[in-house]
Amino acid sequence: MTKITIDNRELEVPAGTTVLGAARQLGIEIPSLCYREGCDASASCLVCVVKINGNARLAPACATAVEEGMMIESETAEVHAARRTALELLLSDHLGDCLAPCFFSCPAEMDIPVMLRQIAAGDLRGAIATVKRDIALPAVLGRICPAPCEKACRRRELDGAVAICLLKRFVADVDLATAEPYLPVCETASGRKVAILGGGPTGLAAAYYLARAGYACTILDENAELGGRLLRETTPEELPREVLAAEIAQIARLGMEVQLNRKINAAAFNDLCGRFDAVLIAAGHAAREQADAFGVAATTKGIHVEHGIFRTDRPKVFAAGTAVRGKSMVVRSAADGKEAAAAIDQFLRGATVTGQIRPFTTKIGRMEGEELLRFAEGAAPDTREEPTGGLAEGYVPDEAASQAVRCLHCDCRGLHACKLRKYSAIYGADPKRFKGHRRAFVQDAQHAEVLFEPGKCIDCGLCIQIAAKAGEEIGLTFVGRGFDVRVAVPLDRHLGEALQKVAAECVAACPTAALAWKASRGVDLAD
Amino acid sequence: MPEIDLQFVDEAIARLGNRRDVVIPLLQAIQGHYRYVPREAIEWICLQTEITPADITGVATFYTQFRHRPVGKYIISVCHGTACHVKGASLVQDALARQLHLQNGEDTDSEGLFTLEKVACLGCCTLAPVIQIDGVTYGHLAPAMVGEVLHDFLERHQNGAVRKAAKIVKPSGELGEIRVGLGSCCVAQGSGQVHERIERVLAETGAPAAVKRVGCVGMCHQTPLVELVSPGGKVKLFSKVNADDAPAIVLKTFKPKGLHRRIAYSVSRFLDRLASDETGDSLARHAIDARDPPVCAFLGPQKHLATEYCGQIDPTDLDEYLRHDGFKALRRAIEELSPEKIIAEIDLSGLRGRGGAGFPSGKKWAAVRAAAGELKYVLCNGDEGDPGAFMDRMLLESFPYRIIEGMAIAARAVGAGEGFFYIRAEYPLAVKRIREAIEICERRGFLGEKIVDSDFSLRLSIKEGAGAFVCGEETALIASIEGRRGMPRLRPPFPAQCGLWQKPTLVNNVETYALVPWILRNGAKSFAALGTAASKGTKVFALAGKIRRGGLIEVPMGVTVAQVVEEIGGGVAGGRKFKAVQIGGPSGGCVPAELAETPIDYEKLAEMGAIMGSGGLVVLDDADCMVDIARYFLRFTQDHSCGKCTFCRIGTRRMLDILDRICEGHGKHGDLELLDELARQVSAGSICGLGRTAPNPVLSTLRYFRAEYEAHLAGRCPSGKCKALIDYRITDDCIGCTLCAQQCPVDAIPFAPYQKHAIDLEKCTRCDTCLQICPEKAVVVEPKGEGGRGKAEG
Repeated sequence: MTKITIDNRELEVPAGTTVLGAARQLGIEIPSLCYREGCDASASCLVCVVKINGNARLAPACATAVEEGMMIESETAEVHAARRTALELLLSDHLGDCLAPCFFSCPAEMDIPVMLRQIAAGDLRGAIATVKRDIALPAVLGRICPAPCEKACRRRELDGAVAICLLKRFVADVDLATAEPYLPVCETASGRKVAILGGGPTGLAAAYYLARAGYACTILDENAELGGRLLRETTPEELPREVLAAEIAQIARLGMEVQLNRKINAAAFNDLCGRFDAVLIAAGHAAREQADAFGVAATTKGIHVEHGIFRTDRPKVFAAGTAVRGKSMVVRSAADGKEAAAAIDQFLRGATVTGQIRPFTTKIGRMEGEELLRFAEGAAPDTREEPTGGLAEGYVPDEAASQAVRCLHCDCRGLHACKLRKYSAIYGADPKRFKGHRRAFVQDAQHAEVLFEPGKCIDCGLCIQIAAKAGEEIGLTFVGRGFDVRVAVPLDRHLGEALQKVAAECVAACPTAALAWKASRGVDLAD
Repeated sequence: MPEIDLQFVDEAIARLGNRRDVVIPLLQAIQGHYRYVPREAIEWICLQTEITPADITGVATFYTQFRHRPVGKYIISVCHGTACHVKGASLVQDALARQLHLQNGEDTDSEGLFTLEKVACLGCCTLAPVIQIDGVTYGHLAPAMVGEVLHDFLERHQNGAVRKAAKIVKPSGELGEIRVGLGSCCVAQGSGQVHERIERVLAETGAPAAVKRVGCVGMCHQTPLVELVSPGGKVKLFSKVNADDAPAIVLKTFKPKGLHRRIAYSVSRFLDRLASDETGDSLARHAIDARDPPVCAFLGPQKHLATEYCGQIDPTDLDEYLRHDGFKALRRAIEELSPEKIIAEIDLSGLRGRGGAGFPSGKKWAAVRAAAGELKYVLCNGDEGDPGAFMDRMLLESFPYRIIEGMAIAARAVGAGEGFFYIRAEYPLAVKRIREAIEICERRGFLGEKIVDSDFSLRLSIKEGAGAFVCGEETALIASIEGRRGMPRLRPPFPAQCGLWQKPTLVNNVETYALVPWILRNGAKSFAALGTAASKGTKVFALAGKIRRGGLIEVPMGVTVAQVVEEIGGGVAGGRKFKAVQIGGPSGGCVPAELAETPIDYEKLAEMGAIMGSGGLVVLDDADCMVDIARYFLRFTQDHSCGKCTFCRIGTRRMLDILDRICEGHGKHGDLELLDELARQVSAGSICGLGRTAPNPVLSTLRYFRAEYEAHLAGRCPSGKCKALIDYRITDDCIGCTLCAQQCPVDAIPFAPYQKHAIDLEKCTRCDTCLQICPEKAVVVEPKGEGGRGKAEG
């Protein structure tokens, strides 16, 4: 047995144990991308570095065997900074979108690609759950949203963007037409109460997500009916009122109190602040005029809040939507409602109020010409078609499926398995810190089930090792040297020839989904 | 593509074998035959041998020696060594590309005549900038000369090297000796032709002397160097001799006997010239005296241990080596000393590895000796790849027996029975001489079975490198010998425990082995008496750059930078100001002029942020931009990263990105801090010496020349080197001679006889041709954007 110290904690491990393995016994998770049980440690990613005996050099924990009396530092600022840099260096040469461009161009950050794959697979119940995770009024938005998501769609420049907005509406309409429209499972009631001023898109969305999180919501609106700007700014042709009513009814079914025709003056506001655990001002841009009455600071645009947190300078008072922004797209207001709900939830749980955390992603950025064609290689050939029954009717199921399948699957097939993404998020790595020249996109799609995207590869060589051990006739190899070294199939053969025996093992071993199942992440919901 | 006859591939397989570890020699043989590695040959090898497609593809694309496309009839290698870089190699490269009309990264001209390639270092640093065309070296080039050079090369080739057989006249009586240095760089300077001409003159006239090739003399700034030794032992030294002068020099000292011979030769113009004043001049011009102050200064502080008898002995003449105490140390090691005793002696001498890191050799030897196992190996690391360093090449070329002897002693000490020289493929003469020396040693009982009739046996052979600098790292070197990609691995385990084919292995550098015989002959104490407290003995340096007297020098440890630069090197050339020396090449750093009193030893250099490295020492003057120097070295290491670990593979590239944008005037606020932090992390986190030391040139220049970096951030290059930050301007001194307009490769200067010329800055590529060509010194470099002001004043 060998006695060592990790972060001032002593332990004994069998001789020959690696530092990585020893740390695991203490419950310290040293991050590693290139290490895999059963393979030779290549010590190449260097994300697992630790400091040993105060030495200025850092050592990879995966390939360093313990020695008697070794003093190891793992969770220190210096070591973390080095790990973060290693991750940032890998990210600087990582060509891939964790999440699709449409995801980030949608203010509500809906997981569009997953919805599209669910529609294509006929899983409409799954699709509405995906949609409602981020959008409380999809049937409404499906009719009036300017669809910024479609402007970012990579297919737009080829043969028209995927009809995301209409497909979302299709999902919502189908859902509303069922006997039991989708209702999310709500958290158990916390007993906390939130007052929401305004029943427009911001207030409705906030109420929906706060109710989901287990809060008792009261919506107070000065008008005679709920809807706010949705009623004022749209015609019944654009947004049939029965659709709006149906979707509001779905929100109300989560359980909330609605007080209409309520004008709130200073005294009433103070009273709300006294009776409720939190108050959200979502009363549209007119609320700016009442800032004094509400006792909150304002700018010329609207009520002043901390960016991304929606907190005003008055304790437990939040504001969102056009009350803050002056004007914005409806989908932006709806997104604000959802994000403010998240902030209020953090506040009421006593957690640090950060607002909704943006999921970590790397981005390829713009692609065009040849590169875009390469990217779209193998995609469904259908072109964009409008609903045959006319826009007012929307898609019928067959149309929806064939439109949904046009999605190019820009989001990563290994989103949840990717260790680079996982540790980048944990270590707060900035993908743009060492931004360099971007490589051109290439892929090898010639294997029946596995897709190879060399741009995502971190050159750990696990697949090369696995293929060689299995005696693959062609196998894989490193080609070139230095910065330009790439894992490739030798002799210009393709992946189908290279991996005839151990494709599954290679996909399982790949730390970044450079090798991934073509069909993976089809309909999975967890994130 | 034409069909390729694969018969040669079959022959090569039959000769070299079909095992996986012969893949590199096999590829080398194939490229030697086809001049590139045809795809068909690779496929055929996979079918005929145990080598897999993955193996051969990995190896063939790792080593830059292997070309995958057919090449032109002649190959132009442009040296990008340090000395060449500071003297304008990239301008020469650009000029050649323009001359050959190469576009968008093409390397071969449209007629398929010339292929242009960059090489890390040709080791002719004193001739910088240098190019080589199919083995013919052209030195001291300028961009404007490239057309002429290509023309000259083609003319030589068309005329061919046909020589008439001369009538041989045998001399009689006691003979004098004519020593001609024939190291690679002397040959590049023309000593081959001098040697040939002298042989011819002796044969034709019967002059009473014998010509002898000797190894490197070290005085590269004086080459070709001819030394005449009279039978009485009187020595005359002639420097910078050219082939045409050689006969006069020889015949003046060694007069042929018999009138008829002199008459027979009098038809030659040489004898005519001998009588003329012109020749007198020429002799006076070439003759130098070893007591001349400059020669004295150059040789004075030197101490020849590794280079003992330099310029005196024929590299491959074993008898001569034996007469000069050769193999006495090996005999002592076999007959008088136990292995433990040898190691104790080496330990006591204080010898440390001369490859750069300075690990105590005695400790390393003891570790290999102590390692378990019967089978052990000794390796000689001759993969010298630092640009600006050619000490090991010179030692291998000039003293092959000494290195073999050192290796044999090491093998005896550690208990190895087999060893390999790993020598860069770029050093063909070194490979040839070592090969010849090994054969002769085997024949004469100094290698092979039962060496000097003892029970000690040692087989030595050569593995040629294939163009991968990283193979100088010992674990990468081992991988390369095993026929794999030269990827370093994490140590421990060290090669002493687990090396070549997993056996205990001793890896030492050429110079380390070269010092071993001296130590055993003269005693550890004599060696330890030289040098400083922790750095004993001598070190060989390649002195080059902006210096008057460059060359190879061997000095005791502890001499100061100032002594080397001012005393030995004669100071900075051309009236410029001494700014810094770069020590240790791409792994080293810059010692600024203010710290020139620093003694050169392992510890002091490390404190300065430099390292001993393998011994490149490049002198920089005030015209050199330190940011550009840092970028130059970083580009080199970045280009030679094996690509394994993140910090080196991507980290050095991102450091280079930052330096590139600083040099191009796009540096951003915070870049220096980012560069500094990244450099330190790359250094701390990389797994091998290449990555760990690659940031040194950046860190040391950031430390001593931070103001220059800051000037670049402000858009100014104080030395006027960075193209993006400078303009060329013609001053009122212009007399309208039109030379610049004629020579400008991009027609940026309108032709205007008798008028002041002007440069179109939009077209100008900053190639420096006009500045170099202007007889009136009317072309100046100034910070970008200041030309307008200049004009306004004028």
